Amino acid sequence: MIETVTRKRIEILADTALQKRVTSAIDKVGITGWTILPVSSGKGREGPWREESVVGTDKVFVLTIAAEDKAMELAEALAPMLTDFGFILSMWDVQVIRGERF
Amino acid sequence: MFDAAIQTFTSPVVLFFVLGLAAAFARSDLTIPEPIAKALSLYLMAAIGIKGGVAVAKSGIDATVLSALGAGIIAGFTLPFFAYAVLKSFGKLDRVNSGAVAAHYGSISVVTFVTAVEIFEGQGNAPGGYMVAVMAAMEAPAILSGLLLARGMGSKGGTQSSGEMLHEVFTNSSIVLLLGAFVIGMIGGPEGFDPVSPFFEAGFKGVLCLFLLDMGLIAARRIMDARAVTWRLTLIAIFLPIVNGAAGTALGIAIGLDTGSAAALGVLCASASYIAVPAAMRLALPEADPGIYLTMSLSITFPFNVLINIGLISALAVMLAG
Repeated sequence: MIETVTRKRIEILADTALQKRVTSAIDKVGITGWTILPVSSGKGREGPWREESVVGTDKVFVLTIAAEDKAMELAEALAPMLTDFGFILSMWDVQVIRGERF
Repeated sequence: MFDAAIQTFTSPVVLFFVLGLAAAFARSDLTIPEPIAKALSLYLMAAIGIKGGVAVAKSGIDATVLSALGAGIIAGFTLPFFAYAVLKSFGKLDRVNSGAVAAHYGSISVVTFVTAVEIFEGQGNAPGGYMVAVMAAMEAPAILSGLLLARGMGSKGGTQSSGEMLHEVFTNSSIVLLLGAFVIGMIGGPEGFDPVSPFFEAGFKGVLCLFLLDMGLIAARRIMDARAVTWRLTLIAIFLPIVNGAAGTALGIAIGLDTGSAAALGVLCASASYIAVPAAMRLALPEADPGIYLTMSLSITFPFNVLINIGLISALAVMLAG
């Protein structure tokens, strides 16, 4: 049977305009990779929002997978932005193959 | 005055905007796909920039152009102070939100400007091409004034340095394209523009119609979701463009601009940004509420300017010039 390792999968919902801050924080704590996913609309504490890139209200999901210590370091680095910019960060355990890569 | 109003409401550009508003209020599923909306805005920025640059290459830079530029920049810096005072006293907004909204009202809306130019041209009062340069110059000063008002002298903005913020403002895609195309137009001149003019001239009004359809949809959907905007702020979002528009038009006539250009300066002063400034405020004043500043500028002031105020400003300019 193939061997799997437990890692953290981290998901950050951020404004498209600010995605570079998230990805540079990921790079800074030494996590090797990330993926950006487009999102179309949603609703939060401030009410509904839609993807309207002309007026800059569009958002993205930034996904990354990392070992727990780096995941915590990243959460720490992003914590001020979560409050300031209304980002959402969540993480959970996932099984990955080739664990040495994450 | 009546003629000006008729001309506004028979312009296809304005009617497409009304269609967008009506479709969104009727909860139609009509939408312009996001990448197409973005492409339409890029086309408009490039076309406005290059046409303005060519016009300046043709007319040259003289004292009128420089005084219009100076008036625009001074207006950009000072309008937010007036807006801030009104927002804080009558609007009962806190300091940060007042500063953020004030920055929007000192800056400009490209689409309002272009719609006005279309209408003024229809009335035989085409503004000078250099007004595009005035428009570009008025984009940023208000952001600085707004931040100064919101943060006070000498303090840092948000979680980033002001250098970083200015970099984001000036590398904003629409500003880069608008200014870049303007310079290209100036370098190329009328002869250089000739081969590409079919693309930028023939499609322009049609693309503007579709873009305004999209803006109508966005503006109406936003106001249907709005919760943070009170009746006081709604009144201010109508009062500021009237006062700023009249002041800008009078200033334009006073410094010797022709009727169309003075009216265009009035429209620039009356319009509120909803592209560059919200992006800058999101970075510099994250604690300010986009539900207030975007709704006021995009969903109240923008429709008011397009549907009513452009006609008023045009009539005022004709009256003052006469």
